[in-house]
Amino acid sequence: MQRQIEPGPVAAPPLRVPPSRYWVQRHRRRLGDIGTVGLLLLVLFPFVWLVQMSFRPNADILGYDLLFTPTLAHYRALWTGAFPASFLNSMITSLASTVLAMVIGVPAAYALSRSGFKSSRRIALWILATRMAPPIAFTIPFFLAYRHLGLSDTLLGLIIVYLTFNLALVIWMMQPFFDGVPRELEEAAWIDGCGVWEAFCRVTLPLSAPGLAATAVICFILSWNDFFYALVLTRTNASTAPVAIVNFIQYTGWEWGRIAAAGTLVMLPVVLFSMLVRNYLVRGLAAGGVKE
Amino acid sequence: MPARRLAWGAQRRRSFLLGIAPAVLVLAIITIAPAIYLVATSLTPLNLTLPGTAWDFSAPAANYLDLAEDPRFTRSVWIQVKLSITTVIGQLLVGLGVALLLNGSSRVRTLARSGFLIPMVLPPIVVGILWRVMYAVDISPFHRFMAFIGLPVPSLITDPNWALTAIVIAETWEWFPFTMLMVLAALQMIPASPLEAARIDGANDWQIFRFVMFPYIQSTLVVAAIFRLIDSIKAFPLIFVLTDGGPGDVTEVTNYYAYRQAFTFSLWGYGSAIATLMVAGVFVLSYLIDRLTGVAHAEAD
Repeated sequence: MQRQIEPGPVAAPPLRVPPSRYWVQRHRRRLGDIGTVGLLLLVLFPFVWLVQMSFRPNADILGYDLLFTPTLAHYRALWTGAFPASFLNSMITSLASTVLAMVIGVPAAYALSRSGFKSSRRIALWILATRMAPPIAFTIPFFLAYRHLGLSDTLLGLIIVYLTFNLALVIWMMQPFFDGVPRELEEAAWIDGCGVWEAFCRVTLPLSAPGLAATAVICFILSWNDFFYALVLTRTNASTAPVAIVNFIQYTGWEWGRIAAAGTLVMLPVVLFSMLVRNYLVRGLAAGGVKE
Repeated sequence: MPARRLAWGAQRRRSFLLGIAPAVLVLAIITIAPAIYLVATSLTPLNLTLPGTAWDFSAPAANYLDLAEDPRFTRSVWIQVKLSITTVIGQLLVGLGVALLLNGSSRVRTLARSGFLIPMVLPPIVVGILWRVMYAVDISPFHRFMAFIGLPVPSLITDPNWALTAIVIAETWEWFPFTMLMVLAALQMIPASPLEAARIDGANDWQIFRFVMFPYIQSTLVVAAIFRLIDSIKAFPLIFVLTDGGPGDVTEVTNYYAYRQAFTFSLWGYGSAIATLMVAGVFVLSYLIDRLTGVAHAEAD
């Protein structure tokens, strides 16, 4: 690898850089900062535009000037429609699916981390496969089966579907956290009279609290963001917030102010949450492929 | 003490089995059972509007034979290939560029990292809506500005030649932060000494990047590309909101085609066959990539 480096001049020639270049070199850091801020504004422009549209009065919805009197009219209009119910549905399904995935997945992750079963690798591959498989492959059989099971357009039906990605994610994400807790601590607890799971609950679990929190938040974000499953598996009763937006686009046309307000409300929890788990996002989203 | 240890070990092993069992059981029910159901359905002409088509295995290969002669399917695969390749390359380049910019150690850049990851965590439906705003001629600040200065630009999403590009732009915007975060993490693992050594030897910025930094982030880029490549096959909400597969079928990727066959036309057997092929394709792709990168890693070691 070292050989790849082109041998540089043995003694650097005296600095004869043109003055302009010298200026760039000296202000390199500040220029980088300015470039960063500029680029950030450019990248986030569509996002900011949508948020400001949601506060603009209808008469002036297309205005450019940033000095306008913000109004909550669009949010109020949402409040009286079917949107709050779907927002609640999103909340319930995301929370329930997260809790369920954690309850089933955390003990499994712990067991896989500690046991050294020969089948561990096979289970890891299986999890990877569920991560890779396109959702359409799940939606068709789930849709067909739910018609017979009475789970179409129910919250429970969605919660179960969300387990297809959340459970695998929990098992994958929690393992390294448990790997990091020394076994000796559990053994000490056992000597003090704890059972295996008691030692787990009293010693290992508290020590993995940050991992538990990050995993739960990422499960919540993934369920909250889902559009495809909810679109296909719900009609009216159980429709979640992303589907509700699409529904009222279909019924009332592109009423920009209201759509912008709904979009802003839907993305609010995710944006806030993701800032909390920034450092774990990659591991969560790349579950199955990135070890650390 | 040894007896006690043994008991501890045995007790642990039994407990571990108990811990794993529910997860394995649930995973089997929600992943393996649907997979079997999917493949079984793909062997039947199931159509919910025609009674008697369920579990009719009289012509098991019919759907697959039809697929082989379906030009719309072939076209959808080709559109998928174009979409995937361009968007993955776009995401890698933008993500790498932004990561290199943010790698500097200043407060501004540390704070900016959180800002840049926003597109990736937004609900995909919201990403679709905000790009719909950007592409709507009468709403979009960009289009109205161009019209104002006398250079009106037609909307990308209604133009058959540009609709796919519009999707690629939105998808690249949404997912470049993934590559960015992964590369940033890798950049921070690079030890300081080779960088200093190269600088003292008089290497310029490009040489430092190419010969010192790049070898460290190469494998990260490959992993990011694999993930994004496989995820790009699932593209749905963006297409649903921006173009609905159109104009015509120029943005109808395979995933969208399968969705339409099953959920719009009620051709469940046919849709299942497409989905089965997609799963097979994804697995073959993962296997090939695993082999290729495995070989690359072995050579690098």
